[in-house]
Amino acid sequence: MSAVLRRLAATMALPALLVVAWWWTSDASTNFYLPPLRQILAAFADVWIGDRFATDVLPSLARLAAGYLIAAVVAISAGVVIGQSRVVRGIAEPGLEFLRAIPPPVLIPILILFAGIGDQMKIIVIAVGAVWPILLNTVEGVRAVDQVLIDTARSYRISGLSRLRHLTLPAAGPQIFAGLRQALSIAIILMVISEMFAAREGLGFAIIQFQRTFAIPEMWSGTILLGLLGFVLATLFRMVERRVLFWYFGQRAAARDH
Amino acid sequence: MTYPAPRAVAGTRIGFPPWAQTVTGIVLVAALFEIVPQLGLVPAAYLPPLHDVVGALAEEAGRSQFWFALYETLRGWAIGLAIAAVAAIGLGVLIGTTPFLLVATRSTIEFLRPIPSVALIPLAVLLFGADLRSKLLLIVYAAFWQVLIQVLYGVQDVDPVADDTARSYRFSRRGRIRYVVWPTALPYVMTGLRLASTVALVLAVTGELVIGAPGLGQQIALAQSGAAIPTLYALVMVTGLVGILINTLARWAERRMLSWHPSMRGEAVA
Amino acid sequence: MLEVEHLRKIYDGHGRSVEALRDLTFRVGAGELVCLVGPSGCGKTTLLKCVSGLLAPTSGRVVLEGMPVSGAPANMAVVLQEYGRSLFPWMSVSANVELPLKQKKLPRARRREMVGRALDAVGLADAGAAYPWQLSGGMQQRVAIARAIAYEPHILLMDEPFAAVDAQTRAELEDLVRRIWAGFAMTILFVTHDIDEAVYLGQRVVILSSSPTVVQEDLAVDLPAERDQLTTRAQPRFTELRGHVYEQIQKAKAAAPPSSGVS
Repeated sequence: MSAVLRRLAATMALPALLVVAWWWTSDASTNFYLPPLRQILAAFADVWIGDRFATDVLPSLARLAAGYLIAAVVAISAGVVIGQSRVVRGIAEPGLEFLRAIPPPVLIPILILFAGIGDQMKIIVIAVGAVWPILLNTVEGVRAVDQVLIDTARSYRISGLSRLRHLTLPAAGPQIFAGLRQALSIAIILMVISEMFAAREGLGFAIIQFQRTFAIPEMWSGTILLGLLGFVLATLFRMVERRVLFWYFGQRAAARDH
Repeated sequence: MTYPAPRAVAGTRIGFPPWAQTVTGIVLVAALFEIVPQLGLVPAAYLPPLHDVVGALAEEAGRSQFWFALYETLRGWAIGLAIAAVAAIGLGVLIGTTPFLLVATRSTIEFLRPIPSVALIPLAVLLFGADLRSKLLLIVYAAFWQVLIQVLYGVQDVDPVADDTARSYRFSRRGRIRYVVWPTALPYVMTGLRLASTVALVLAVTGELVIGAPGLGQQIALAQSGAAIPTLYALVMVTGLVGILINTLARWAERRMLSWHPSMRGEAVA
Repeated sequence: MLEVEHLRKIYDGHGRSVEALRDLTFRVGAGELVCLVGPSGCGKTTLLKCVSGLLAPTSGRVVLEGMPVSGAPANMAVVLQEYGRSLFPWMSVSANVELPLKQKKLPRARRREMVGRALDAVGLADAGAAYPWQLSGGMQQRVAIARAIAYEPHILLMDEPFAAVDAQTRAELEDLVRRIWAGFAMTILFVTHDIDEAVYLGQRVVILSSSPTVVQEDLAVDLPAERDQLTTRAQPRFTELRGHVYEQIQKAKAAAPPSSGVS
């Protein structure tokens, strides 16, 4: 029992220390830009637990989800098609390499041209940014399927949809998830940025408003909320990944033990 | 079973070798870009034909403002990356080789790492306004984590046998780090630097775009508000090319540095 | 059952062409257990890929039950050397064995029954719910064999299946093959580089030359039908046959042209 407690203490020690240090050093702060932690936490409760949650946070999350899902579906489908043919890969490569080298936020002005400044634009921005890591990782995952498995499937005449479902997608799974993980961070970033530009509601919009109106504790509370959001989503992702790819982690653990 | 060789390179049998595939790809994209707007499928105001964009690009290349912006972007990128690299490598080696620190910092790292650097934008604006330092805040924050994570992986990947051997020969801690830990971690460090160099560019341009710090991003924002659409596209293309350049350079550096190393760290792309 | 007629395979690529198989002709009758042996680099894998339809020969043909083979034929199952890599790690053992049966569009109850029977036959009746990476190498190879048996193929191809397994496990698996062959009345073409194994298992041993490969000899193994590891291998006739095969292979190696590196 004490081993578990000791473990817990070790993990929580530094964060707890940092929070305490922050509270303590900022308590008497008269610096306008760095208000006492106490104030920030009070602002946090005030601002985010209440209607703002429904009017700002939920729409943001909804757009994030929509953009991310669209990106995932498009990227995985396209990735599977491109990954299976060397010639298609060769032709698509220069275009894809170029497009993915463009920092996604830079596409926002272009997308505003096409899609205006409403929800649609924001979702498209998120999707367009999130698509690349998923697409490229899917292509790589599909390309790198073990030749032995491919030959086995061929010799048992497993083809078409069955092959996709039982061989290609699971085999590319770990790589696809790596892409999905990177896409998640990009999607969050784009969700915030798209709302900092031309928006009427949303998490990014709220934070920028606070900054412009010099509502500093509120601004900090927004930053903290973003941090929490990033952390929670990353943790959720890891949980899903552990379940879906149980076989992959099991396989690696088994190999390690040999 | 060992697989028979030689295997025909894909496409050679039908006379379509890889270099031809690449050229076809480029030509196809360029053609699409030129033809679609001309066909009126998309209004030319939104998507100018390729030759217009190329014209705008040529025009930009003749203006010192453009080159200055490019310089500013690259300057921010380089400084931010350097600071992040030094901090992350130093901290990473320290934490990675001290078991107590490893355990103590794990939760903090796991919490701070997914925080989107854009969350710092308001703070950057307040503290530094629209200049290089606000950009650097974003760049360093984002790039730091990329390198740190890889360094930690690398330091922990040290072969325990090699480490024990060093200890039994009574190597000092510095000696162990130099002769055992660092060579093991080096491929990971290079991977981290490569990933960080891409992220640093994204944050540099984003910072310029959103905050208005000098650089390509700011030029893009200007072009957009001035409705100079072909110029907008031209600048976006330039950022893409810079991105490709940086990526190619990073991969080259990785290969050079690690040409002697038996294993190249394979990291998921993008 | 299986006829290989004048099989020839040339690899072209990078400006260089390699004749892996020159002229291979042999037959496998229904219900026979035939072993293929040859020196390393003699194109055994190429031959197997051609026979199993995964690779198209340059000339000559493979005829299975009267129909020429192009693409993987429906009545054939293959067991490969890399057992670890041929099983799908995201599926349990039973799911792995069941997968080819789903392809055959059999009803669920029937599939379950066949999977159960196959796992039983290889001695893994209790391992259905386990995952391949939880099993030892020998057990994994048994699963691959079970998968092949459950498929109820007319002919079973085995490509050096026990090369990567330790000696004791190999002995058990060899006996398993003989039991399956007798119990399911199967036709088996067994490729190996292990001469002892070839003589122990086969009713006939087809000896291949070095690359460019032809059939060096088609040897009948007149050992009794009831074989076991201890007594059969101690019989004088076994030693004779084995010695003969060994001699032939040495001859094949000596006659090999200097550059041939295909397997």
